[in-house]
Amino acid sequence: MILLGKIALGMAGFAVAGAGLLCSEGFVDVNVVQHRDSPPHIHVIAPALLAPIAVRLVPNDKLGEASEKLQPWLPTVRAALDGLRDSPDMTLVEVSDPNEYVHVEKRYGDIVVDIANREETVHVSVPIRAIHSTVDALADVSPENTNSD
Amino acid sequence: MDKRWILGAAAAAFFCVLSVPAVAAPADRYLHVQVSDSGNKGEDVNVNLPLSVAEKVLPTIDRGPLHQGRVMLDRDQLKGIDMPTILEAIRNSPDNKLVTVKDKDGENIDISKADGKIVVHVNEPGKKGDNVNVTVPIAVVDALFSTAQKNEINVAAALQALDNAGDSFLVTVENTSEHVRVWVDSHNQPQ
Repeated sequence: MILLGKIALGMAGFAVAGAGLLCSEGFVDVNVVQHRDSPPHIHVIAPALLAPIAVRLVPNDKLGEASEKLQPWLPTVRAALDGLRDSPDMTLVEVSDPNEYVHVEKRYGDIVVDIANREETVHVSVPIRAIHSTVDALADVSPENTNSD
Repeated sequence: MDKRWILGAAAAAFFCVLSVPAVAAPADRYLHVQVSDSGNKGEDVNVNLPLSVAEKVLPTIDRGPLHQGRVMLDRDQLKGIDMPTILEAIRNSPDNKLVTVKDKDGENIDISKADGKIVVHVNEPGKKGDNVNVTVPIAVVDALFSTAQKNEINVAAALQALDNAGDSFLVTVENTSEHVRVWVDSHNQPQ
C-alpha cells in the first residue's frame, strides 16, 4: 500500500513538473472570428514551448528556404526581440482607417496583434521568448541538410 | 548597555541605507510617429519605438547602403563639402536665420539656428501646400556627419545623440487633410 502511494506521488510529481515545464514559456493564443456567412470561429491556446519543438520536427527540406531567407536577418531579429523584451509594455503600432484596425503591442512579455475588419477579427498573442526560441530553431535548420531538388 | 548601543547603531545604519535614494536609471526614450489623414482615406497611424531598440537593431542591418548603422553615400555626394567646418561655424554662430529662399511659385524655405537646434521651415503655397517644420538638435547633426570624411552618414551615432538630447519635435508636416508628427520624448505612449 505504501509502495502504491509512493508510485502515485511520484507520478503526480512528474505530471506537475511536466505541466510546469510545458507552461514555462507561456501560451500562444490565436483567435479568429469570421463575420460573414456561417462564421467559423477558431480559437487555439497552445503552450508556446511547442512552437520551437514543432519547427524541429518539420523535415529540413520544408523549412530550408525559410531558414535560408532568415539567416541574413538573424542578428536583426534577435536584437529587436532582445530590445522589445527589455522595454516596457506599450503600443508599438496602431493603424486605423474606416475599414480596418490594426494594433500591435507588447503586453506582459507577449507580442499581441489585433486586427479587425469587416470580414474577420483576429487576435494573436505570442510570448517574445517563444518567438526567440522558434527563430533559433528555424536558424538551426542547416541548408546543407535540405533537399533543394 | 553595549548591546543597546550596538542595536541602536545597527538600526540607524539600516534606516540610513533605506533612506539613501537609489541611483535613478536613465529614463527610456521613445520615437513617436503619428500620421493623421482626415481626407478621403481617413487613415490614422501611430508608431512608438523605444530608441534603445532602434539603437540595438540598426547596427545589425547589413543591406544595401546601410552597414553597421552607417549609410554609404555615392562617391561625389559630399565631395568638396567640409561638413565638420560648416557645422563648427553654425555651432559657434549666434541664433539667427541662416538661409532664406523664396521661389517664384511662392514657396518659402527658411533655415535658422535657435536654442542649439537647426530649424527648417518649408511653406508651400496653395490649398494643398504642405507646411513642413524640421527641428534637429545640432548635436544630432554633428553625430550624423561625424563620419562624413569617409563618405558616410552615421545614423547609429545620430540615434544615440537623439537619445541624449531633450524632448523635442523633429518633424511636423501639415496640410489641409494630413498631419504628420515625429518626435522624441520619455513617454511610451503619445501624450
